[in-house]
Amino acid sequence: MGAVSRLRFTPWVVALCGVALLSACSSGPGPGAEPARVRQIAVITPSHDNPFFKAEADGAAARARDLGYEVMVNVHDDDANKQDQLIDVAIARKVSAIVLDNAGADASVAAIAKAKAAGIPTILIDREINVTGVAAAQIVSNNYQGATLGAEEFVRLLGEKGSYIELVGRESDTNAEVRSRGFHDVLDKYPDLTMVARQSANWDQREAFQKTETLIQGNRGIAGVIAGNDTMALGAMAALKGAGLGHVVVVGFDGSPDAIASIKAGEIKATVLQPAAYIARLAVDQAHALITTGSTGQPEKQSIDCELVTKANAESFGIFARK
Amino acid sequence: MPSPSRGGTGTAAALVMRLRALIALALLAITFSLLSPEFLTAGNLSILVKHVAINAILAIGMTFVILSGGIDLSVGAIAGLCGVVAGGLISQGLELQAFGIVVYFHAWFVVVIALATGMAVGAINGWLVARLGVAPFIATLGALYVARGAAMLTTGGATFPNLTGSAALGNTGFTVLGTGSALGLPAAVWVMTVLAAAAIALAAYTPFGRQVYAVGGNERAALLAGVRVARVKLLVYVISGLCSALVGVIIAAQLGAAHPATGQTFELNAIAAVVLGGTSLMGGRGTIVGTLIGAFVIGVLADGLVLLGVSEFWQMVVKGLVIVLAVVLDQFQRRSS
Repeated sequence: MGAVSRLRFTPWVVALCGVALLSACSSGPGPGAEPARVRQIAVITPSHDNPFFKAEADGAAARARDLGYEVMVNVHDDDANKQDQLIDVAIARKVSAIVLDNAGADASVAAIAKAKAAGIPTILIDREINVTGVAAAQIVSNNYQGATLGAEEFVRLLGEKGSYIELVGRESDTNAEVRSRGFHDVLDKYPDLTMVARQSANWDQREAFQKTETLIQGNRGIAGVIAGNDTMALGAMAALKGAGLGHVVVVGFDGSPDAIASIKAGEIKATVLQPAAYIARLAVDQAHALITTGSTGQPEKQSIDCELVTKANAESFGIFARK
Repeated sequence: MPSPSRGGTGTAAALVMRLRALIALALLAITFSLLSPEFLTAGNLSILVKHVAINAILAIGMTFVILSGGIDLSVGAIAGLCGVVAGGLISQGLELQAFGIVVYFHAWFVVVIALATGMAVGAINGWLVARLGVAPFIATLGALYVARGAAMLTTGGATFPNLTGSAALGNTGFTVLGTGSALGLPAAVWVMTVLAAAAIALAAYTPFGRQVYAVGGNERAALLAGVRVARVKLLVYVISGLCSALVGVIIAAQLGAAHPATGQTFELNAIAAVVLGGTSLMGGRGTIVGTLIGAFVIGVLADGLVLLGVSEFWQMVVKGLVIVLAVVLDQFQRRSS
């Protein structure tokens, strides 16, 4: 049959198509260039479909290029296994340092230790791991301080009284728990503030939209919604507007460009900006110091304070950093 | 209803088995209304149906595909892609570099383009399955990745915010699909109702519907009986693509924003609704009405558990148990009949 003889070529055709596609996609140097000559920094973060991680990766990559490094940018999609493979690739390419927003406080330790054993330092950003002495540095924004900042503004906007709903992030994430604790350490001090519902919306806008719609059925008199991140805050805002409750005070967390635009438009009232782009640049600077002088010049654990964004100061913030 | 294998035994037990999805739905509704005073209010029921609509619309398209003996894993990704296509056309317009101009379309035309995009991806799925003989699981898994990647590329991973359009550009009105309502029912519910009526008519009362059952029941026999099997297979994926696109557009309109990651794992919810509704994953057996009941079971569970303040983790466990239980009951019924 003709199909059989055609089939024999299929793997070759597929392989050739793959090679053609890859060469069309890659913008880096061709296979002839020697990767070890120019020093490289690997930047590995969660998926860029969240502008927060994109800002991180872009900030780190830009800073590294300014310092004369070649940059390898990858995403691990919060999959510890994929992260492990990306770190293997980084080790094989003999990069000088890895800047990593990791895929799990416990699940990432072995991969980072493997890089260390290969003589490659890892600078962690945004999320910590549960051990010290493995990463060269762990630079995170102070989620607890940020949450108390957001909660204090929430209390002020509500006039210290009324009922509210809390939307929590994915409950398996450390940051969801830390932020919620920060919120409650402030909110629970006010006896006239009552929480009528607390639900996880898994950091997701559509889920926050649907859950808010359901929750306000029994609580049309609520005064506020406090959310563990901005996408959930925006989802809640859309649901409240749809229900004719646009006056309800919504406060988010992250300082995403979409949330800042919403604050400027007078919809959500406040958010807490995590300086992700600044932290990413800082991480590259410390990696550079480590490569050139042998030390980052900083303690391993570093915590960078968050900033409150309201309509009054929204103009002075750019993409996850002060302008 | 066409249900060839359901020879009624006439006993009460058999009737209970046949109506088990409906009975489960009633039991859930009664339980939640006893536990939560808000459950049975008009406001909550309207919201509930609106939430169900998203999954039900996907599941209706999925039912045709599964009835034909296939599966469509790309529905969530197509929804995401069509959402950003619509969002991009509203907020950024279409840039025609050759002419150096940016074209903004009327909101309704944007919706038409988004729906056409979904049908086009569905047609590619159908073509791969029907003409090239690729296994549906593989063809649509490929489409899942390509459509999701294309959605990410369209926006660079970001969200298109503020889809209200602008009066100056003449493209306002897109969000009506999400926030509008008529006769007290949200737009999404109307879309679901009209689609469900059309799907029931199509499945049960048209030659095409009979052919879908025939192809899924016994493809060889259908072919020998003169059914144009390839054409039927192509069309079921186009229908599924259209349903996915509707969902993408409705979600973008509800949120007033289009995010390329929208619709992740939607395919699993849609398949769950179809299976809960008694449709066989092997094809050839099942109904649209069953699928609708299945979608309502999942939706009532989700909303009821949120109203009760049950933790997200328990919500997942309960949903999984209900799906498995439904399929176990299905096996019992088929062995006894």
